[in-house]
Amino acid sequence: MSKKKEVVMKENAVQAVLVADTFGEEFTPITKDVPLCLFPLVDKLLIDYTLEFLSLGGVEETFIFCCNRVAEVKLHINECIRKTVGWTLTMKVHIIVSESCHSFGDCLRDLDAKGLIRSDFILLEPGVVSNISLLPLLKKHRETCQVDKGAAMTVLFQESGLGHMSLCPEDEALVAVNSNNRVLFHKKTYKSSQKKVDFPLEMFLENSSVSIYHNLKDTHITICSSSVLPLFSDNFDFQTKDDFVRGLLMNEEIMGSTVYCNILRGTDYGGAIFNWRTYQSISLEMKNKFLYPLVPISKIGKFLNSPVTTTSLVKNTEVPRSSVLLRSIIGENSTIGENVHIQDSFIFDNVKIEDDVRISLSVIGPNCVIKKGSKVTAGSILGEGVVIDESLLIENSLVQATLDDNVQLEDKIGEHAFRLRLEEDEDDIELDKALAKRMSRLHVYDLVGEQSEYESDATFSESEEELSHIHSPPPDDTNLFFSEVIDSLTRGFDDNLQCDNLILEINSSRYAYNITVKEVNFNVIKAILIMSHNLPEGTQYFSSFAKLLSYFTPILRNYIKNESAMMDCLKAIEEVATSDFQVKDKWVIFVLKYFYEKDHLNETEILKWFDTLEPKSTVHNQAKPFAEWLQEAEEEDSDE
Amino acid sequence: MKSETDDLSDVIKLISDIKHKTLLSSHDIALSTEKLLVNLISHGNWSSALDLMELIRRRIKCLSQSLPMEATATNIMRHILKVIREEFEVASKKKGEAHSLHHIVTGALSNILDYSESLTSLKAALLDHLSEYKTELETSAENIAAQASEHIHSNETILTFGSSRTVKMFLKSASKKRTFNVIVVEAAPLYLGHSLAVSLAKSNIQTTVIADSAVFAMMSRVNKVIIGTHTVLANGGLRAISGTHTVGLAAKHYSVPVMVLSHMYKFTPIYLGSNDHDTLNILANPATVIPYSSGAVLNKADIATPMFDYVPPELVTLFITHQGGNSPSYVYRLLSEVYHPDDYEI
Repeated sequence: MSKKKEVVMKENAVQAVLVADTFGEEFTPITKDVPLCLFPLVDKLLIDYTLEFLSLGGVEETFIFCCNRVAEVKLHINECIRKTVGWTLTMKVHIIVSESCHSFGDCLRDLDAKGLIRSDFILLEPGVVSNISLLPLLKKHRETCQVDKGAAMTVLFQESGLGHMSLCPEDEALVAVNSNNRVLFHKKTYKSSQKKVDFPLEMFLENSSVSIYHNLKDTHITICSSSVLPLFSDNFDFQTKDDFVRGLLMNEEIMGSTVYCNILRGTDYGGAIFNWRTYQSISLEMKNKFLYPLVPISKIGKFLNSPVTTTSLVKNTEVPRSSVLLRSIIGENSTIGENVHIQDSFIFDNVKIEDDVRISLSVIGPNCVIKKGSKVTAGSILGEGVVIDESLLIENSLVQATLDDNVQLEDKIGEHAFRLRLEEDEDDIELDKALAKRMSRLHVYDLVGEQSEYESDATFSESEEELSHIHSPPPDDTNLFFSEVIDSLTRGFDDNLQCDNLILEINSSRYAYNITVKEVNFNVIKAILIMSHNLPEGTQYFSSFAKLLSYFTPILRNYIKNESAMMDCLKAIEEVATSDFQVKDKWVIFVLKYFYEKDHLNETEILKWFDTLEPKSTVHNQAKPFAEWLQEAEEEDSDE
Repeated sequence: MKSETDDLSDVIKLISDIKHKTLLSSHDIALSTEKLLVNLISHGNWSSALDLMELIRRRIKCLSQSLPMEATATNIMRHILKVIREEFEVASKKKGEAHSLHHIVTGALSNILDYSESLTSLKAALLDHLSEYKTELETSAENIAAQASEHIHSNETILTFGSSRTVKMFLKSASKKRTFNVIVVEAAPLYLGHSLAVSLAKSNIQTTVIADSAVFAMMSRVNKVIIGTHTVLANGGLRAISGTHTVGLAAKHYSVPVMVLSHMYKFTPIYLGSNDHDTLNILANPATVIPYSSGAVLNKADIATPMFDYVPPELVTLFITHQGGNSPSYVYRLLSEVYHPDDYEI
């Protein structure tokens, strides 16, 4: 009976594929001796957490692709099965050895050739840990597939905040999705040096709503339809998942496949360890229980509560009172001497640290010995079995224990310590690339680091502001509009054109520059008044000014139609009177009188405007006699 | 020993079911633990009581290591250990002579029973007892609910915290005979109180949901506090969902009686030491309190979201089990009825 059941289960079994190794040099020199999946993560090994996650998530069969140190991984898995660790009951694990594979894509092509995958499956990139329940997501993917036959992949993202440690700059991406969660646009902003991103216009034309996200963390977990593997086989240039997503989005019509995404919120957590920075952030998040119920068992690892050792974790290791640990994790069976200072660092198993050693922002591989008085700082990574001699300073370097092709003799630091030169080996060391390497190591906590980060943020926003200033439409357009109005008016006046045509001209420029009615009123009056500056000086000035104004009467009538327009007109008078041009003493009073007499302005608006003026300003002084005269006239009116 | 061939796979299955959340409520866990024990007794590889006890002890150890907070399953196994001892005594007495008065008074030899002796009648007796125990488990909640009308009177205001299956049944049973108001505290950050309130409102009980912070303000008009608990500790204190301590303190201030509904399998023979607060608690996902998307704040902050509160026994007025009401000071006596003192620590 049980056999029958097993067969049935096998047919519908939920399958997962885990590619266990990164194919880059992110973790050298430690990955020379320890494969990524056997890295210690807080209190267990990384693979233990990954498999437990898969089992709790509802996966029944897992394929692990191994390329590095396969024997050790196999040994560990068999050991787990022997001990009947939790996941072994609900999940079968197969290890696939693929030494000929040199990339993530190769592994999937190999998998396609083997024909092991029967239907939709979960695909994990190296180093994934998560606490999500996969079955509902898988169901959702199937539903999507029923609506859209071409749906190939659902990428899982987690909503995260900007400035969060886990948002690794290398993984920063801009994602645009439509209302069905279909990914329309995916771009890793980090790789391009441009600060601008161009969205294809069709994206907005074809979709009624588009959401653009920049705060998403890639969980490196994807739910794939069975069509994914053949697509990898057909396209030999797909090396990574990102290649795949980009390729699919670029050639959507040709391949007929689409990518969807799902954004995790709330207590769902997903992430992958693919460089030291993510190793650090995931370790700390695991310690802070963001992966609950996948949490370190407190009985095995003991969190020290005293203030000097804030949030450090020590396993089977005695820490003398004179030593200080900060945000660090110390592996099993290590010894720590007196007066040791360890900060933001990860110490693997069986490490011996002697007295007066300082370690910060570094990773110390297994079986290392750091002798008295040494300093290991600023993103140094020590491979297995390195021995650092007394009073040495190791700063920002990779150190391994043995001599090989990558190492030259002059890089010898000690009997069992050779400096690796990864960055220098490359001929063209671009600044960006060096920075990338640095950033991919540990996240800097101290003030200096934070400040520099903020600074870079600040400069970025500044440049953005500049951009917006140059391109910002309102001031430019108004100016252009104004000069165009002046042009039309001068031409009209000189050539004696019909005012109606001028109004048409002004209105068309108004629409061209998208100017509000208020601004039109203001600018037209201003333009007319400014033209008075070009009139010949002398006794004839005011009579010619009156002639000019009377010529433009139709325009004035057209634009000064109501009270608010009158106020705009008065504001324009004020502006011209206070502008740099020298206006005659009686200019203001003349203009006001003219406008009043011709019924362009009424007394209430003028008085209202007069009240807004600052007392003792030139305009105020000049307008005062007229205002007083108006008031008297009004009183007389009411008296009568 | 024969137990070396024992592979513990049954208990690992139980652990994995609890972890996979296929068994959610303590009632389900209790029933499947009982099933596990029936299987072990009827098909397990044992010939004497000693073997069987050893098998069960190993399961308890395995459980408490992988799920230190899960008390139900271990308590049931512990109770069965006591049952085995009793049944063995009965069986061996039948076989041999009855203890004389002299023996009982001096207790010289009779205390040291030789459990390694194999008794043929033991297996049948144990299976009998287990099927009885199963019905006890199944009816426990009903028996507790049946006492509801003794404790809830007409037009009273009852306050409850979070959501407990037993409390729900208790209140619904009382509503058949009486009309009363229920105030449900929502119990952040999981807000289980909401689901209880919905369920109560559906069975026409006048229900009000309040925020946790309003507990003290509302307490003055409350007649009784009725809550469930995760476990009852040996001193009569509670390990209950976080926020319960506040309710207890507010009730104490207004002299409102606090009644705790509990099944017998929640009584646990452990004490809380002053430094044990961390080991008695679970720190859950902080994302329920501060969302993961809050950004840079999380880089430096350590956020603790404890799941449980310890409520000292002086804040509890009465425990209601299927046998009736007991005061916290009587818990030690109940424990010795349910478990054998030798099995308190395993």
